[in-house]
Amino acid sequence: MNPAGGRLGTVALLVPAALIAVLVFVVPLARLLGISFSAPAGPFDAYTHVLGDDIYRQVFGNTLLVAFAVTTIALLIAFPVAFALTRLRGGWRTLVFACVLLPLWISVLVRTFSWMLVLERNGPVNRLLVSSGLVDAPLSLLFNHAGVLIGMVHVLLPYSVLPIYAALVRVDPSLLRASEGLGATAVTTFLRVLLPLSSRGVATAATFTFLLSLGFFVTPALLGGASSMTLSMLIDSFVSDRLDWPLAAAASVVLLAAALAIVAVASRFIRVSNLARVHR
Amino acid sequence: MLRKRRLLLSLGAASLASGTLGLPAGVARAQGRPLTFCSWGGALSDLEKTALLEPFAKLKKIEIAFASPTNYAKIKAMVQAGAPEWDLVNVGGRFIDQGKDVLETLDMTLIPNARALDPGWVTSRGIFTSTGATVMAWNTKAFPAGKGPSSWKEFWDVRAFPGPRGLYKQLYYNYEAALLAAGAPRDQIYPVTDEKIKLVFEKLREIKPHVKVWWTAGAQPPQLLSSGELALSSAWNGRVLAVMKENAPVAMTFSDGIAWGNAWVVLKGSPQAKVAMEAINYAVSEEAQLRLLDAGTYGPALGSAAARATPEQQKILVTAPQNARQMLIINEGEAARYSAKYEDDWNRFLLA
Repeated sequence: MNPAGGRLGTVALLVPAALIAVLVFVVPLARLLGISFSAPAGPFDAYTHVLGDDIYRQVFGNTLLVAFAVTTIALLIAFPVAFALTRLRGGWRTLVFACVLLPLWISVLVRTFSWMLVLERNGPVNRLLVSSGLVDAPLSLLFNHAGVLIGMVHVLLPYSVLPIYAALVRVDPSLLRASEGLGATAVTTFLRVLLPLSSRGVATAATFTFLLSLGFFVTPALLGGASSMTLSMLIDSFVSDRLDWPLAAAASVVLLAAALAIVAVASRFIRVSNLARVHR
Repeated sequence: MLRKRRLLLSLGAASLASGTLGLPAGVARAQGRPLTFCSWGGALSDLEKTALLEPFAKLKKIEIAFASPTNYAKIKAMVQAGAPEWDLVNVGGRFIDQGKDVLETLDMTLIPNARALDPGWVTSRGIFTSTGATVMAWNTKAFPAGKGPSSWKEFWDVRAFPGPRGLYKQLYYNYEAALLAAGAPRDQIYPVTDEKIKLVFEKLREIKPHVKVWWTAGAQPPQLLSSGELALSSAWNGRVLAVMKENAPVAMTFSDGIAWGNAWVVLKGSPQAKVAMEAINYAVSEEAQLRLLDAGTYGPALGSAAARATPEQQKILVTAPQNARQMLIINEGEAARYSAKYEDDWNRFLLA
């Protein structure tokens, strides 16, 4: 087969996939962009409304803050879990892996509702806290930021654990032993050897978790209070209550632009193609 | 090798072509589908199915499909795409005004039974087929059944009635409740003015620190009240009555309640518009409306049916004189206006 024919064949084989991508991804996105400029009061009206009003800026700030807090907490939990996964063997390793991966198979809605039952005023967590004497009155764990953080960290944890695990598993254990042998304390070994060698994995995990948090809807909507409104909840109210689709489209485009900006900044530290590699 | 590739390509092209050319077939299927009714789910959908629509289906010897929950955005999208999957929909009265572009104008010659209804329940695009109310409900461990709040003023009184509260997630119902709590007489609630709105937000800011949940779904208040998460909440009466029948520790009062109706509308472009209107006609017939009495959740809209209620049934009936006397009837047109006009202020209030 001559090279030119081969290339033509490859292109031809790619056409169906490209067509599907264009039909289900590019066309709807272009339509969304079109709708965002279709407000009756003028093409930029929806954007002036979304970007110019202090309440929407507050919602946007809130969304970023929640995403940042979720990412930080998730990374702090994920690193030790990922490290333990590299050290465990046999049944224990399978068990911890199952704990990380199994939740991914259960619908986010089901997991969020389960948290409502666990965290409610007379739920098991509060009963345990009160009966053990740790607190006098049941804690308010639902319909506030605490509920949102607990629920979102739980849902997004696997996306933090897996990239960090993928990085840690590639670290040569003899390097850690060498550090120890040269007299470094555990903290020094962690800070100067383990962390630098796994930094790409941590950055990938942070980007993944942050991006997913930005667009999260179900968990904050069900576990959060009035003041924990996020941009995705606002978009939902524009779509279903206000029926103002140009406004909803403009808010979505702003969210998308923010996400792209974050990927652009993150790509200075990690290669975006690595995001696809972690799951191998 | 090459031949195999070409085969794959032509298969791909064929499936794509059938994907687009297949569209008219899809539309044809939509016309052949049964009359489809969509409502809010829960006690209301059950009631509408068994009391109003299944008997109609039997009478007409047709099939009816049921869907839930009602979603205004979906209605708008389906009608604008020219292929509504629902024909007959139960909407909040507010939507008759908000969604007038996507609703069919009703042919009143097909709905002669509407003449027997109170004129307030009949509009050119929607007819109210049952009645309900947004009432105060509470957990009976927090306050015994007869000892809950009996007015919105008392609902606002956090000393006499301590505990976390629930209110609806939108200005809808809260506008009325806040004004009543401020002591405005029932005939002074409408029309909406800027001064009244100012007073509404002042009153709402007062209660906000005690509002733990701003609910969005009718199922939430009964669930949160019975689990003890909330001590008292606004709620739809039918949902509360439904859980009270299951002996949940929840009680309610019609006193100072906000009465409304469940409006049935026909979507523009529905291939079954005529049958849908005939279904509305049957739903407001005395025969069908009397069945609502036995269910004991949402009451009839037809006065002559409500008048036949037993004293026991009257207790839980929105339209029974002794209950109706203590309630405000919501003005859906005004509600549509204040909801749209003050939505940004409402969001600002929630976030502050």
